[in-house]
Amino acid sequence: MKYSMMPERREGPVDPMPKSPRPLEEGGGPRRPETGSPDKDSLMKRMRKVDPKQAERYRQRTGE
Amino acid sequence: MLNRIFGLETEYGLLIHEDRPSHSPTWFAHRIRDHLFRVQRQGVLDLHHRGHDEPPGNGGFLTNAGRIYLDMGHLEYASPECHSLTDVVASDRAGDLLLQQAIEDLGYSDQVSLIKNNIDHETDATFGSHENYLVSRRFPFSRRGLAPLVTFLVTRQIFTGSGRVGSAALQDAWIQMDRLLVPRSSFGAHHVSEPPFQISQRADYIVNDFFEWVQHNRAIVNTRDEPLADPNQYRRIHLLLGDSNMAEYATALKLGTTGLVLQLIEEGHAPQDLEIDEPVEALQEISQDQERRWLVQLQSHKTLSAVDIQERFLDCAVQHCRGQDEETDWVLAQWASVLHDLRGDYQKLVGRVDWASKLWLLDCFREAEHVDWTDPMLKSLDLEYHNLNPAKGLYHGLLEQGRAPRVTTDRLIHLAMEAAPKNTRAYGRSELVRHLLNEWPASATDQLPAPDGLSPPYVINWSIFQVRGHAPFSMPDPFKTYLEDVRTHLERAIV
Repeated sequence: MKYSMMPERREGPVDPMPKSPRPLEEGGGPRRPETGSPDKDSLMKRMRKVDPKQAERYRQRTGE
Repeated sequence: MLNRIFGLETEYGLLIHEDRPSHSPTWFAHRIRDHLFRVQRQGVLDLHHRGHDEPPGNGGFLTNAGRIYLDMGHLEYASPECHSLTDVVASDRAGDLLLQQAIEDLGYSDQVSLIKNNIDHETDATFGSHENYLVSRRFPFSRRGLAPLVTFLVTRQIFTGSGRVGSAALQDAWIQMDRLLVPRSSFGAHHVSEPPFQISQRADYIVNDFFEWVQHNRAIVNTRDEPLADPNQYRRIHLLLGDSNMAEYATALKLGTTGLVLQLIEEGHAPQDLEIDEPVEALQEISQDQERRWLVQLQSHKTLSAVDIQERFLDCAVQHCRGQDEETDWVLAQWASVLHDLRGDYQKLVGRVDWASKLWLLDCFREAEHVDWTDPMLKSLDLEYHNLNPAKGLYHGLLEQGRAPRVTTDRLIHLAMEAAPKNTRAYGRSELVRHLLNEWPASATDQLPAPDGLSPPYVINWSIFQVRGHAPFSMPDPFKTYLEDVRTHLERAIV
């Protein structure tokens, strides 16, 4: 499966601000996660650094 | 996209990394806002009362024509009006980056993290991600006319949800029956046992199908009539049931598919035989379905899955909207791709769909560390997925590894931090904000309200502004830039 980037946006009444990139040739999408891959190891490293108590500390006011 | 203006409003959470914090999240929110406006000069603070809870200095418009302000103690960013998905995704991420960079500038990165989510697990607080879609005033804004939109919104969470560990306690809810408000509990609403994981953050908090309030009794369709544009031409569909998305792809797909369904309704092409029997209950049941079968009972007594229902909407959109512009075709192709993959292994959706990315990360962690769903660490990992610090956040980890497809670029996001889209009303407003920043020294807005006791030197709103001594300048059409008119008006004005 290949994923394409968003197409170029249409011209507006004046020069538009962003120009979206051209689609990547090989597709910009994700690979299926592989168990035991180096990528997964780096994500595990991030996860192990997380403070286990931070969800207890995260007390917000109700908004809208 | 064709005939559509999009906007997103995001309320952020602030996580303080101290056991006994010396300051509250709201204290940090004030410092961050003040740094953005007074030091970085990213925009101009309001010098007037915008409402009972928005005193002078509470927030202001930015040079990108969006707004940053405090709402119920939360930092909130409202994107400028955007005419394309590319713009709205870039503008949304620009808001994230403006706030994250302010935290880094202030040296607060080790003390506080900006969390782009919608719940806290401890107190069941919720805060929103609101979507805005401009439609024609002729849009059939009635229960009958909106029925297809309700069905679409209840089922779209299978690709728009951000996912969460656990659930919220049963919410107080009131239902309008004729002119009476009655408690929902009297109609036999029941609480299901807590699921380990569910696909939506906001589903637990949506307790009505239609209602006008935004802080309590939240509804699938918010009925407040506030177009922020010419009310004779336009209506603003304001949705508050969605989750804040981290994935650019999910943000684009959420806004793109919803925009197309609104178009189908406007043009009379939406499927009419898909009314859900109990939409509020279905919203929560889909979110909490651990087997991910996502079955929905229709008023016609048929049972369909959320994927089946979404495919019906997709078929109609392909039939009536394909080829109208490139973004529409992108949305149709990605909508089909996601629905196809939702029928298989959820891991195919990692990087594109936030709940799938989060669930995969949590499954990896549970497997590696041999912990079950009751381990409190999982709630902390849930939060970390939404951390906007690129060195810490788990979504940013996926992004760094190229597992999350981009629909914009870092260059465009940086541009969107300072510049407005140049094909909507935002462009004219941006010109005004830049003019005021040039005319007013930073110290001038340190004294609030206006020090001379006169009317404020400027008042800016989404569809109108006034510079002291001059007539109000109205911008009722969000599709117009008003650029030359604004320049002419400001040349004549003496600040």
